[in-house]
Amino acid sequence: MHLWLAFAIAALVLWGITGVTQKLSTNRISSERSFLWFCWAMVALTAAILVVTRPGWKLGSLVVICSVAGGALNGLGAWTSFRALESGGKASIVISLIALYPLLTIVLAVAFLGERLTWMQSAGAVVAIAAAILLSIETPAGTQESANVSN
Amino acid sequence: MNQTHPSGRLPAWLLWSLVTIVLWGTWGFVSKIASAGMDAYVNQVLYTAGLVPLMVFVAWTVHRSGSHESKEIRRVGVFWAFLTGILGGVGNIFFFQAMVVGGKASVVAPVTALFPMVTVFLAMTFLHERLGRTQWFGLLLAFIAIFLLSA
Repeated sequence: MHLWLAFAIAALVLWGITGVTQKLSTNRISSERSFLWFCWAMVALTAAILVVTRPGWKLGSLVVICSVAGGALNGLGAWTSFRALESGGKASIVISLIALYPLLTIVLAVAFLGERLTWMQSAGAVVAIAAAILLSIETPAGTQESANVSN
Repeated sequence: MNQTHPSGRLPAWLLWSLVTIVLWGTWGFVSKIASAGMDAYVNQVLYTAGLVPLMVFVAWTVHRSGSHESKEIRRVGVFWAFLTGILGGVGNIFFFQAMVVGGKASVVAPVTALFPMVTVFLAMTFLHERLGRTQWFGLLLAFIAIFLLSA
């Protein structure tokens, strides 16, 4: 297995667990309060990283801007996804629609980073997005929302 | 479902959903740029810095709206929200690491976007939620997608 794939699957598993823990939280408290405590946990994790790993800080300005922007973009995305749900959108449609976000990443990475996909990877990307949409569709039997503030 | 209001304007939920796609799709892209110049831990630290302005805004809205839950229910809800943040943050580190070790943004993003497959599996196992035929098909597609993307 490729090393990148092992890390990507580890992220997938942890984010997948958050789909359940987030629901257990928002069943009890508001989405805003839940998001706030989600952020506090990120701050606590950051403190732990700074203490344990003592990271180096020789960084270029572009990568720093991109990293900080990443946090803002992801956090704002979580907030706008809540707004979409609260603005009358059906959860099954809103969350399925949002699952299209990797398409934009692919377009940007191919256009600006010069990434190239093999035909199998291109097919895989299409199938992955279809899978994410199908998994996000709620059934009358009752499933969960898969919106995730960490991704 | 109508996609537009009688006035011809997009409904709010659709607009928020599209904004979410742009924000999260761009996050995958900028994360790859950031990963070229820093390790995953530093990326997570700066990511959290990017979250802070939104965190302040949300803290203000939570403070303004007050709390409507009992202390006990709020305590449990906060616990799950905090756990969501820790798991989400560690998931982020794996996501960044996948890119640091050479994973393309155009492949890592669709793989990690499959996280609902884990959520669905856990909800089925621990919350005793039942899957519809659509979600079973989504799970099957998710496995096929990972195979294709790792090729």
